[in-house]
Order: sequence, then C-alpha cells, then structure tokens
Amino acid sequence: MQIGFIGLGLMGRPMALHLARAGHHLHLWARRPAALEPFKDVDAHLHVSAAEVAKHAEIVFVMVADAPDVAQVALGEDGLSQGAALAGRAGLIVADMSTIAPAAARDIGARLTAKGIEFLDAPVSGGEVGAIAASLTIMVGGKQEVFEKARPLFEKMGKSVTLIGDCGAGQVAKACNQILTGVGTVALAEAFNFARQSGVDPARVREALLGGFAYSRILENHGQRMLDRNFKPGFKAWMHQKDLRIVMEEAHKLGLMLPSAAATAQMFNAMVGSGLGDEDSIAMLKLLERMSTQQ
Amino acid sequence: MRLGFIGLGAMGVPMARHLLRAGHALSMWSRRPGAAPALLEEGAVAWGSPAEVARRAEVVFTVVTGSEDVSTVTLGEEGLIHGFAPGSIHVDMSTIAPGMARHIAARLAERGVAMLDAPVSGGAVGARDASLAIMVGGAADALARVRPLFDLLGKTVVHVGGNGAGQVAKACNQMVMVAAIQACAEAMRLAAASGVDPARVRQALLGGSAGSRVLEAFGGRMAARNFQAGVEARLHHKDFAILLDEAHRLGCPLPVAAQVGQQLNALMGSGWGYHDSASLLRVLETAHG
Repeated sequence: MQIGFIGLGLMGRPMALHLARAGHHLHLWARRPAALEPFKDVDAHLHVSAAEVAKHAEIVFVMVADAPDVAQVALGEDGLSQGAALAGRAGLIVADMSTIAPAAARDIGARLTAKGIEFLDAPVSGGEVGAIAASLTIMVGGKQEVFEKARPLFEKMGKSVTLIGDCGAGQVAKACNQILTGVGTVALAEAFNFARQSGVDPARVREALLGGFAYSRILENHGQRMLDRNFKPGFKAWMHQKDLRIVMEEAHKLGLMLPSAAATAQMFNAMVGSGLGDEDSIAMLKLLERMSTQQ
Repeated sequence: MRLGFIGLGAMGVPMARHLLRAGHALSMWSRRPGAAPALLEEGAVAWGSPAEVARRAEVVFTVVTGSEDVSTVTLGEEGLIHGFAPGSIHVDMSTIAPGMARHIAARLAERGVAMLDAPVSGGAVGARDASLAIMVGGAADALARVRPLFDLLGKTVVHVGGNGAGQVAKACNQMVMVAAIQACAEAMRLAAASGVDPARVRQALLGGSAGSRVLEAFGGRMAARNFQAGVEARLHHKDFAILLDEAHRLGCPLPVAAQVGQQLNALMGSGWGYHDSASLLRVLETAHG
C-alpha cells in the first residue's frame, strides 16, 4: 500500500518503520530533514511537503505534538487537504495518532470530511517502548468502514486496536487513559513514600500488593522503576502535564467535576515548575520526598 | 475629556454613567444595538463600531466578558486599533488572561497607543456605588492620565506593575475570594448537617477571626437561601479557567484553587451558572443527599 507518515519523532519513527517492514511503500515529509535519516535504507519516498505526501498516499498517519500542529499538517498551506485537492483524489484517509483535545479532533475531522477526506483520531498508549515493540494500545474514533480499512495497518504498530466510537471518541478514551495513569502514578508515589517514611521497605510492600486487589501494571512496572530509582523517560512528566490540561479543559467545558484528576494536574504542575519536567512521570516520587521528613 | 466606552452590561452601564455625569463626552458601542438607551438620553452617543468610538476618544474603556471578546473589540476587523490616534489610551477593565492583556498592549504600542489592564473587584454594587477596587497594569504615565477617571469609578486604585500585572492581581483576587466562598459553603453545610442553624453560626463567626466580607455577603445569601445573582457563578467559572491555565503555563501548583475549580465545574453541570456563586452550597448538598 502507498502510506504517508508525518511526524517522525521518538514515537513516529519506529511506528513508520514497522509499516515499511510489513512491505508497504512509505511517503514521508518532515519539518526537520534530519528526521528522515533513518529511512535511507527502507522503501520510502521523501517529499517536500505534506501536500506532496497526500498526492501519493492512500492513507496518511500523523504523529505530532499538539492540536495546532495537526491542524497545520492536515488543513494548512501545503497541507494534506491541499495535496488531495490538487491530485483530484477522493477517499484519502488521514489517521491522526497524536494526543489532542477531543473537540479539536472533532473540528479537524469535520473540516476534512467537508473536503472529501476521511478522518480517524487514533491516539496511542504505551510510549516509546510500545512504539518500538509494536505493542501500542490504539484507541480509534471515526466511521466503522474507514476503521476497517486502516485496521490492518494499526495492527502492525500495536497489539490492542479498538474502535471506541465516532470522531473524537479515540481522544476521549486517551483522556480517560491519562486520568487513570496520572492519578495512578501519584497514588503509587504516595504509597511508596508513605511506606518509606513509616520505616517500611517499599519493595516488600510492592511485592505483597502485587498479589492483591491493588495490583496494576502501574504498580508492577512503574513501581519497579521507582524502586530502582530509574527516572529516565519513558514518558516525560511535561507530556503528562500537557495531557492532563486537555482533560481538565474538557471537564471545564462539560461542567464536570474531576477532583482527583485536578489534584493530580497540580502535582504535575509542581513537577514541571521544580525542574522535573524532563524526567519520567514516576519522578513524582522525588517531588513527594522533597516535601517529607526523610528526603 | 473625550471618552469611549464599550461593553454596556451590568458593570459597564453604571460605570459609563459615572464618567458621563462627571461632565465627560462619551462615545459608546455595544454588540447589541440599542443597548443602554438611558445613557443616550443622558447625552452619550452610540457609534457603529469600536473603531468609530476610538476615532472620537482620547481614552476608551472596555468592560466585556472574555479574552476573545476583548481581542475582537480591540484588534478585530472594526476594532479600536483601527481608529485610535497615537497618544490615545485603551483601558481594559474586563477580566482576561494576563497573556492576552500583554499581547494587546504590545500590538497597540506599535501604533503609539498605551494600554492599561485594569480589572476590578466589587461587582455590580461596587460599580453602582463607584466603590470598585481597581488593579492596574501598565505604564505609570498612562495611569497618571487616567487616574482621575478611575477615581470616578472606584475607591481603591493600585498600580500593580507592568502590562498584565493587573490581570495577575485579579486572578489572585478570584482565587482567594472563591476559595473563601467554598470554605463558607462547607461551614454552612457542616452546620446544617449537624442540625445547627447555619444563620446562627454565621452570625457568631462574623464577630471572630473567621469574619470576612465573603462570610458576610455570600454567607448571608447562603443562610437566606437566596441564590439569585449577585455574581453569576459562570463568570467565576470562566476566571478559574484563566488562573488554572496560568498555573499550568508556569508549572505552579495551586492545589486548593484546583479543587475549587472542580466544585465550580459541578455547579455549572447542575445548571446554576446564571445563579450566584453561593450555589456552591447546593453542590455540596447534592453530594450529601
């Protein structure tokens, strides 16, 4: 298949490489030409703009930082919709795998649909490790028939691929994911710090808890890394802070109370403000230790 | 002086009237044509766009709702910026994001126009009685020219700092005040849940260390179960989005404000946005059953 991929950063690069290795032909464009370097040896065509990518691809994946970037790539000057229009081709699919606000996804989706382009919002969970191992969780919003066309490609990048609902629903699921992982990370850091301040070994506590009702992947994986004091990202705290802002803005718009997520968002503000933003989210533990008797 | 006034709502109308009655010439514009007919009778003149108002005024006041409204009125197609002569002053008394205030100030400065962000505290009553607290950000010389006009509108005028500083002060004001309203609501709820008369509790507290203007005004409305606005809660809700957004941008934790923001979200979701913020008591009652 002719596949476009835009956004070849930490996540996008391994994801695109999986598609190439599956025998698809890649069409690429990047703001920074250096990002194209790893694709010298695979079956990939490098283009001068997103519009050129759209002219040659049946489906284009987008993996960028935030909503304005997605809008720019999809609808801006030399963007995907311009290219599709110039090529006079209907039926292009744009699958945005970035994490953006559900409302922004619905807006971009509606504007693309008006131009005859199909849109899926398909944010992921699993981080760089998941991208490299092709084990991402992919949460999709959009039309069933469009999803079915894209599904085999998603399955090259992830292990769990779910159509959640209409356009925007994928981003809602991702927001739910960020509530759970954010609150869970703070809870874990609090539990470990509580154990240690009480003179109890957090490693033993973790071991005991793994067998019980508090078992979670966060307790297992994040917990182990906290014990190892391995704060290398992984998933950087400032990115979690950004995602929680999306959550809290949606809650504001909906008139919806999210007290735990709100408290968690403030903890992430404190991480960023105190210089822990570039460390993994689990450096939350360090923040709590700084405010405790035994540092 | 030749003055302009934009935003003729519950706050704007009495403020504009004070300026008019002090003998100033007043040009005005409102999104809703035919707004404030009483001011027209008192000699104010309505124009077709903000730009037309700016052409006829040395100082233009804006009192509108949000960052977007101020931006449109000032920098939009028919905005003030297209009518201002160099040396004019824009005074924005709305509550908006500090970042937006700084942006507007910078754009106006390119045209030789000074901008003051001058949000107020004191509500419709303060506007009517000319007893507002005015928090000003911007250049001292611009404030010196406008200060006699501010004195017609408010009792306290404080120069907080450069552009945006007035809005930072207002964000702090909202944070302290609404957190106090929430604390007041929780106290009233605890009293009622304990079978004790909240009105009596309030009365007792007013004489002690917990006495405050919020306990007096909002506590009074809670005790009387009078939830008519007052201060429309949706405006506090809007302000909390601004200050929590600033906290995000600065990496500055505001744990209590964040929780108060959630209570305001619940208030909005319950459909009480146009009621007084004393309705925070009703949010707690919903959760208590």
